[in-house]
Amino acid sequence: MTSTAPKLGESVRIDRGTRIKKFLVGAGPLLALIVLAGFFTIASPTFSTPGNLSILLTQLSILMVIGIGLTFVILLGSIDLSVEGVMASSSLVFVLFATNDRNDFEFGIFAVLAGVLTGSLFGLINGLLHVRLGIPSFMVTLGMGAVGIGVATVLFGGRAPRLLDDGLRVWGVGNTAGISNLVFIAAAVLAIAFIIQRFTRVGRYGYVIGGDEPIAKLSGINIRKYKVLSFVLSGTAAGVAGVMAATQLGVGDTTIGGGLLFTAITAVVLGGTLLVGGRGGVVQTLIGVGIITVLANGLILVGVDPYIQQAVQGLVIVIAVIASGWSLRRRVRVIK
Amino acid sequence: MRISGTGRQQMRRRLTTAAALFTVASIALVGCSSASEGGGEGVTGAEGEVQLVEGVRSLSNSYHANWVAGGELFGESIGEEVIVLSDEADSQKQLSQIKALAGSGQIYALNVDPNTSADTEAIVRAVTDAGGYVVTQWNKPDDLNPWDIGDHWVAHISFDGRVSGEEVSNALFDAMDGEGGIIAIQGILDNVASKQRYEGLTNALAGASGIELLDTQTANWSRSEALTVTQTLLAKHGDAIKGIWAANDEMALGALEALKAAGLDGTIPIVGFDAVPQALDEIQGGTSGYIASVSSDAFWQGGAGLSLAYQAATGQIDVSELSNDERAFYGTQIVVTADNVGDFLEAPSLEALQADFDDPFARSQGGIN
Amino acid sequence: MSVPVLEVRNLTKTFKNVVALDDITFEVRQNEVVGLIGENGAGKSTLLKILSGIYQPDSGEILRNGKKTVFRGPKESATAGIGMVHQEQSLVTSVTVAENILLGSETDAVTAGFYNWRKLNAKAQKQLDKIQSPISPTDKVENLSFAQRQMVELAKALGVEEFSMEAPVIVLDEPTSVLEGDELEVLFAQIERLRQFASVIFVSHRLDEVLRVSDRVYILKDGKSVAERNPDTADVDELHRLMVGRESSAEFYHENEQTSVAEMPVVLSVDGLGKRGAFSGVSFEVRKGEVLGISGVQGSGREELTRVLFGAEPFDTGTIVLDGKSVRFSSPVSAVSAGFGYIPAERRIEGIAQGLSVQDNIFLADPAPVSIGPFFVASKARAAAEEWISRLRIRTPGRGTNVSNLSGGNQQKVVLAKWLNSPRLRVLILDHPTRGLDVGAKEDVYTFIRQLCAQGIAIVLLADTLEETIALSHSIFVMRDGEIQRRFDASPGNKPKPVELVEQMV
Repeated sequence: MTSTAPKLGESVRIDRGTRIKKFLVGAGPLLALIVLAGFFTIASPTFSTPGNLSILLTQLSILMVIGIGLTFVILLGSIDLSVEGVMASSSLVFVLFATNDRNDFEFGIFAVLAGVLTGSLFGLINGLLHVRLGIPSFMVTLGMGAVGIGVATVLFGGRAPRLLDDGLRVWGVGNTAGISNLVFIAAAVLAIAFIIQRFTRVGRYGYVIGGDEPIAKLSGINIRKYKVLSFVLSGTAAGVAGVMAATQLGVGDTTIGGGLLFTAITAVVLGGTLLVGGRGGVVQTLIGVGIITVLANGLILVGVDPYIQQAVQGLVIVIAVIASGWSLRRRVRVIK
Repeated sequence: MRISGTGRQQMRRRLTTAAALFTVASIALVGCSSASEGGGEGVTGAEGEVQLVEGVRSLSNSYHANWVAGGELFGESIGEEVIVLSDEADSQKQLSQIKALAGSGQIYALNVDPNTSADTEAIVRAVTDAGGYVVTQWNKPDDLNPWDIGDHWVAHISFDGRVSGEEVSNALFDAMDGEGGIIAIQGILDNVASKQRYEGLTNALAGASGIELLDTQTANWSRSEALTVTQTLLAKHGDAIKGIWAANDEMALGALEALKAAGLDGTIPIVGFDAVPQALDEIQGGTSGYIASVSSDAFWQGGAGLSLAYQAATGQIDVSELSNDERAFYGTQIVVTADNVGDFLEAPSLEALQADFDDPFARSQGGIN
Repeated sequence: MSVPVLEVRNLTKTFKNVVALDDITFEVRQNEVVGLIGENGAGKSTLLKILSGIYQPDSGEILRNGKKTVFRGPKESATAGIGMVHQEQSLVTSVTVAENILLGSETDAVTAGFYNWRKLNAKAQKQLDKIQSPISPTDKVENLSFAQRQMVELAKALGVEEFSMEAPVIVLDEPTSVLEGDELEVLFAQIERLRQFASVIFVSHRLDEVLRVSDRVYILKDGKSVAERNPDTADVDELHRLMVGRESSAEFYHENEQTSVAEMPVVLSVDGLGKRGAFSGVSFEVRKGEVLGISGVQGSGREELTRVLFGAEPFDTGTIVLDGKSVRFSSPVSAVSAGFGYIPAERRIEGIAQGLSVQDNIFLADPAPVSIGPFFVASKARAAAEEWISRLRIRTPGRGTNVSNLSGGNQQKVVLAKWLNSPRLRVLILDHPTRGLDVGAKEDVYTFIRQLCAQGIAIVLLADTLEETIALSHSIFVMRDGEIQRRFDASPGNKPKPVELVEQMV
């Protein structure tokens, strides 16, 4: 039997042809983003103006924060569907603790903390229920998401409480050096997430557990602990996103996260993080978020009829997902 | 400034809602069939035996919150509890909630805002099968009317978005001194309200030669979507935008935030619809550029609509004797501007609405044709 | 006389009614390479799993450097200095080499949850240096070839040295099955160097390799250690004989029911079949009513061959001709429609639908006999299910019983019924059909195989033991390393001896 396996003595791992192919597949999403951006730059005079680029960055900030949280959970091979409910609750907790038109609390920065920790709490509950009771993450987070909306509705009390603390509103509404403050917040979240992913146990073990859980278990890793921590990260990110959205809109609202869950998951998958876990990362998610935001922004600038915008977006996403999964399709795989 | 009811009323409403939702949920769990035990065609219930039900999209927007408050005022006036169904914009959920009402065996009077026009027929048929009485508002198919189905579909109330759309658009154009470009942010493109209001805008534009419609997008009634869309449109059209038209206040408020982020609030007039409390505050405040909204008086919708259904259910009104114009009619809308905003800032008292509860047709602007 | 670094005494392990290890005793001395050789099912992998703490022995003891020990899990085994290089890959492909080598034992390279990559890579490099591997700790495992991953596993196994004071014992489980040529030489060189500071247990089916590297060799058969030999003085023929063991009973296999098939038409004809990385140049014919036995150890290519025949894997070269028509199946569905059936080795995973009843399982592959068009006729199904249950003597409370509640043997019968049920069946592939079955169930299976032949169905058989293969088959071929080594005629009265097969297999 002949083979083309390389010699053990060599340090080059795989032949050039395969390497180029692998690089293209891995860089696929980035290439897609560049192509889209290029297309819109040509098709619309306003797309690549500094003003619009700044807006693009703003528009992807909140989505990216959510996507980052989701990435940690998806890397495990799990999913977190509670994002919208968590954002709703955390936005309301945040606004009701800060200076607002409903009560006399004025906790300022601690209100931010309260909002973010609300997210962490939801994440903790998600993780514990999933790990301790063995309920699939799909179901746990779906239920907790509904709880989040419910809690938010009770807090909402019929009308949206308005955030009156200007110091906090500046985060969502103000600019620094011509770029929205939200972008800086999102950048900070990305940096922290990257450090977690590269340099901490939570991050690295996430890859291990997602890549091959039985091996992880045999190696004596406390899988439960790291799963719970990943859910806490996701919940915290949703909490941050809820606070960000509240500063941007000036209210706490139960619908503040509306539609973001599906968009964020799409962004994560588009960026190259596999739903089965073990592959991907927050930088990939950034690219996926970029694709979606550029697409939405570009379609409006180009003047595509609102009636068909959603159809076009859906089509692009389907194509992108097929393209990224192309190499995997041959083996007899169970697709659920 | 509070528009919704007193603290105790809020608490009662919450408990009622919770209890109602729990009841409905358990009823739904036990039997989702539309078994009609309550009675057949034309059977009415005695006063005090008819269940009062409100069907709205969600309690977390002020519009429907006010609607429900109006319904509860009516309930208070006859000493009855009101069940509230909220479907969270899910048509399937709305229909199954309504079907579940049949499980109690009681005759019920339902005042409902169907999620989309496509849902109306299923809803009224379900109510008819169960022997209940329903008043629908806002969404129904153009070619389907209450008299096509029977007496159990008492009436359909709508508001001529074309009329209010045109009026409020003109208010916008006035604030722009008749010159400049506008962007229009629409609601869910399939909704009757969205389509009619946009048609009103189009009509107003026909008569305003100095105004140009630069762009129109949809934000699906959502505040955050409207913010994003407005941001992009600001980038696209820049200084050319001299006015913003939105099909409801939630979206107009989102657009306002986009202006704030760009440092443009106060320089560009905005109009919306629904007269939600925050919009009214902005109108009264006068500094943000928000100059007008339209009120259909959600309290009236919730209260008078329910009253109409109830009166039919108890036989006080004989549905078979109503004219077509009484079974499908337009209610009254008022354009709210800084001049009259004071009238709308508080919830009305029971006394103020009692006359309308007694005669739900008092505010009819004529039949829907 | 120094104490052996590792010793097992009277180790016994039973699974349900199968004795995997039967009173085994062996020892490993300092700086020694001990070879373990045996057939499939001889007990090698069970023994290794016990040494790595995955299983616990039912009785007997393990001594490490003379002290009695118990390994309650892989970690304890590693802490005791026993490093295992597994036959199946046990690396996490989504992270780097360094992370794999130190997985679960990063110690001070990770403080307060934070990774010090420099330290981690240095630690991993230390292990890699021991085997002088050019692989870098920062390489991602998914980019490495199988052979290189083997090296990483070796480096990882060597890591146990860091934990234990005692000289490590490295266990290599079939390390050569993915290597060839120069790679083998590198591995043997590693083993030589390991000998300097550790002891090695080398497990393989390739007799020549084992004899080459080992200082002593143990032969396992049916869970027993049947002999211990010194490679320098061992007689290869004797080793073959020892691996094979007792004579078989012709009655047990119903040999008298085996009829001649020389006159029968050819049903399946395979020419020059090959699949990259698995096997090549395979050609054979199977006639109606014939049983073709394929022998070979794991890695010989025979399992892949059957999966290709059944359409579960594509093939690269050659042709498959069924009833005169050339076929190439894109999936098992097309294979089934054409008339193939497959009874898998992993019945629980691939044979039965665990949540369904006996009756449902029987009609899983081909509901046509009990359907009218797309509609399933319940009364027909009931009657047919009852018939199968009595025909195959399936012991079940009823046809509606959940199939997972049946014993292994009866589950296997359900799987049999599933395929027998289809009138389309032309070729049935049996992959270890009697694995895990007790004697009575085995005999039943043999009877049915004879009945199938009588019905004219062609059978391709991968049997559990050589005796089974020889007794049941009309003709046999032996595969090794992806090629057919030799064919045997096995008509009654002319059966080959197991020894002859073994010679070709190893």
